Amino acid sequence: MKEVLQVKNVTKYYGNGSVVTRALNGISFKVHQGEFTAIMGASGSGKSTLLNVISTIDRASAGDIYLEGKNLAELKENQLSAFRRDKLGFIFQEYNLLDTLTVAENITLPLNLKKMDVETTNKELMRVSDALGITDQLSKFPYELSGGQRQRVACARAIITRPALVLADEPTGALDSQNSKQLMKTFVQMNESLGSTILMVTHDPVVGSYAKRVLFLKDGKIWSEIDNSGRDRQAMYREILSVMAALGGDTFVH
Amino acid sequence: MFIKLASRNVKRQIGNYMIYFITVSLTVALMFAINNVIFSKKLQEYAAQMEMLRPGLIGITIFISLIVSFVLSYGTSFILKLRKREFGTYLTLGMTRKNILTIFVLETLILCIAALATGIVLGLFIYQGLMGLLTYLMEVEYVFADYSMEGMTFTIVMVTAVFLLSSVTSAIYLKRVSIYQLIHGDRMVEKRVKHPVFWMTLTLISLAGIVESCIAFYKVIEHLFLSDGNASEWPIMGCMVVLAVTVVTFHTGFARSVVNLMLKNRKLCCRGTNIFVLRQLSGKLSANSIMAGALAFLIAFAAIGANVSFSQKITEQAVLNKFYPFDISAILDAYEENPIGLEEAREIILRYAGIEKEIDFNIYTTGDNYLHGFTIWSGENFKRVKDSFIRESDINRLNAALGWEPIDLKGGFVIMSDIPQVMNMDFSSAELTLNGKTYSCTGKTDVMPLRAYFFFAAIVPDEAVEGLDIQTQCASFDLKDEKFDAHGLQSELSYSTNGNGFTFMRSDYKIKEYERLQRSSSTAIFIISTLYMAVVFVFMSMAILALKTLSGMSEDRRRYDVLFRLGAGEREQSKTLFLQIFSFFFLPFAIPLLLNIPAGITCSRIMELGGLMKQSGEILVTTVLITTVMAAIYLLYFGATYLIAKHNIVRTNI
Repeated sequence: MKEVLQVKNVTKYYGNGSVVTRALNGISFKVHQGEFTAIMGASGSGKSTLLNVISTIDRASAGDIYLEGKNLAELKENQLSAFRRDKLGFIFQEYNLLDTLTVAENITLPLNLKKMDVETTNKELMRVSDALGITDQLSKFPYELSGGQRQRVACARAIITRPALVLADEPTGALDSQNSKQLMKTFVQMNESLGSTILMVTHDPVVGSYAKRVLFLKDGKIWSEIDNSGRDRQAMYREILSVMAALGGDTFVH
Repeated sequence: MFIKLASRNVKRQIGNYMIYFITVSLTVALMFAINNVIFSKKLQEYAAQMEMLRPGLIGITIFISLIVSFVLSYGTSFILKLRKREFGTYLTLGMTRKNILTIFVLETLILCIAALATGIVLGLFIYQGLMGLLTYLMEVEYVFADYSMEGMTFTIVMVTAVFLLSSVTSAIYLKRVSIYQLIHGDRMVEKRVKHPVFWMTLTLISLAGIVESCIAFYKVIEHLFLSDGNASEWPIMGCMVVLAVTVVTFHTGFARSVVNLMLKNRKLCCRGTNIFVLRQLSGKLSANSIMAGALAFLIAFAAIGANVSFSQKITEQAVLNKFYPFDISAILDAYEENPIGLEEAREIILRYAGIEKEIDFNIYTTGDNYLHGFTIWSGENFKRVKDSFIRESDINRLNAALGWEPIDLKGGFVIMSDIPQVMNMDFSSAELTLNGKTYSCTGKTDVMPLRAYFFFAAIVPDEAVEGLDIQTQCASFDLKDEKFDAHGLQSELSYSTNGNGFTFMRSDYKIKEYERLQRSSSTAIFIISTLYMAVVFVFMSMAILALKTLSGMSEDRRRYDVLFRLGAGEREQSKTLFLQIFSFFFLPFAIPLLLNIPAGITCSRIMELGGLMKQSGEILVTTVLITTVMAAIYLLYFGATYLIAKHNIVRTNI
């Protein structure tokens, strides 16, 4: 299967002088097309830093990150925004929908930024809204939706440009368990039916169990990795719990 | 403890308070300067009417202070809202609302004291500049102007009142707001505009109203000058009221409808960040539509006021030359006892200045009012007004002395008047029979080489006035000296008289230099007052727009961060922010700026109608200058706001 993302010996330092924190410590892994990967770890393990450097919001101090074969470190300032626009989709914990825009306008904003024509935009809007079951909500404003619906809108916005990689940062963080399950089913649908490659950061083992593969981070390094290898979700969940226990379960407090 | 906390907060929040601080400081500076002008002893020496104008000027400054209070209350509420999360945290930690209000009032008090000090220091210079401008406009020598204790006290009282008013607003807000609202903010939701068709109709009607009131104003002015002169001032007032109301309603309607209509254009919305900008504007403009209307009104007032005040200055000298062709004009009623006769006056004048030339002449009357029958000044009310006649040779002597062309009567008589509507009256059928000879009207002239008390006079051949009664004995003097004590001379040529139970000073001698000094003073005070109001209005409008923009920075930062993550680069974000702020700033400014055009054209037409052709062109140049200066100040303020907002909002790649 085609390799979408390659993270190679990535290190990230924060601070300067005597106060330097190493958030990532020579981390390496790959994500292939169509994979649904979760990254788990305790607070301060480097999950969010990793997501930030992959999403080009932050720069790695050392190492290389390749997305579809392109080294992100080599991208110039003005290319980074276009790269995020064309290659990445984002789903955030706080939805990050624009409260002034309607649902349809929120979803199509990335296509507007790509200067896509009206017909294609409408076609793509119908494609994702149909797939995610939010066609009825298109003319509403975010404040008129529930948390789960808002997050589905965020999913639609993330995949409307058919990005190479969808990055999700604690997507269920602001949802209750029922809505979290619903959202994870949407993720699985996005992954299986729409072919989206997803890299998700979470600290919730239930959420992590929906992924096909889970990477565990500790002190900025990959400490362990599991994949479901055809097992059901319950089995995956149990394995995640056991890894977490080995890793130091009590530290999994976000 | 509170003082310590408040002073620390001020230090920490200096960025947020900057616009507020600048606004208060500049306002205090302007208040200080104008209050010192009002109470200036030096100015009282120059302008006798200063004493008379003082209550009016104080009224203006109090009115301005009220507007300033409103603006600063508005500004204070912005700052409160900007820091509501912080105050919410204080409340959850157990502080009482009273404690928080104490901290906030202390903070604004520290700022106001600092702004008062800065403003007064700045005002010391602005006052000298203002006095420089005033003395220049009054055409008197500038000397370092003294500062008055009354001016200082008045300023401090005003600033205290403004501070108290804005504190009351803060107190009301803090008393009513819930902890939830403070911590989570007002639920910022995009509300759909209700009744967009109504607002669009209102916008179009208001636009038509603005255009129509400008046209009507122009026509009413023309009518006043050209028609029967009986026109009342009410239509002018009506036009101004309609203009004021429609300026407000246009902006209110525009803010609620046009963006909404643009949002319906899918093609436009799909381009780049257009939808984002339109939605940002839609929310902001709808919520601030009345404010936009009010600001537009203030700026329109500033534009029109500046145009009118400068028109007055431009026309001043021309009007003076027109109505006072000679340095001194003696107009002695032949039917009355003149307390200061021509002989005595001549001796008095010689004590002040040498006489270069003197032309004596008379105005005659037949004792009836036949010619007035062709005018509006006829009938029962005007039966005591008699026709006036001047000899052709007298007029030509006066014309020759002024270097003007001699008059040609073409065998008849010519109607002479400096009242514009006389030129539109029909004397073609008038026939005068004087000393057995009949003369018909051969023309009219508004070139009047003398000053007299009549609506018009007929210039007739010399032989026609033989035997007529002398109505007025006149003399025109040109003086050798340009500089002389005009006030002293006018005083010596005046006498006290009684009328309607009052005793007042009267003079039969009109001294051009005295009149010039009087007019210069009035015009200077008028210009300064109007400019003061104009500057404060434009300045306050800009401050409100800036504060409004900057108070929404935290919300905007969050929204632009989403744009950044979605792939909008620094350039695209900057462009979007520029469009957003520019549109918000420009809405209340566009129409008032455009109103400079009809204001300039109307002022220019007034000059034309008053026979001041050269000045009519100058007015248009002044209008262009006023427009440019207003636009420059506005763009400067917009630029500063944009740069601050850009620095805080636009997210760049690391």
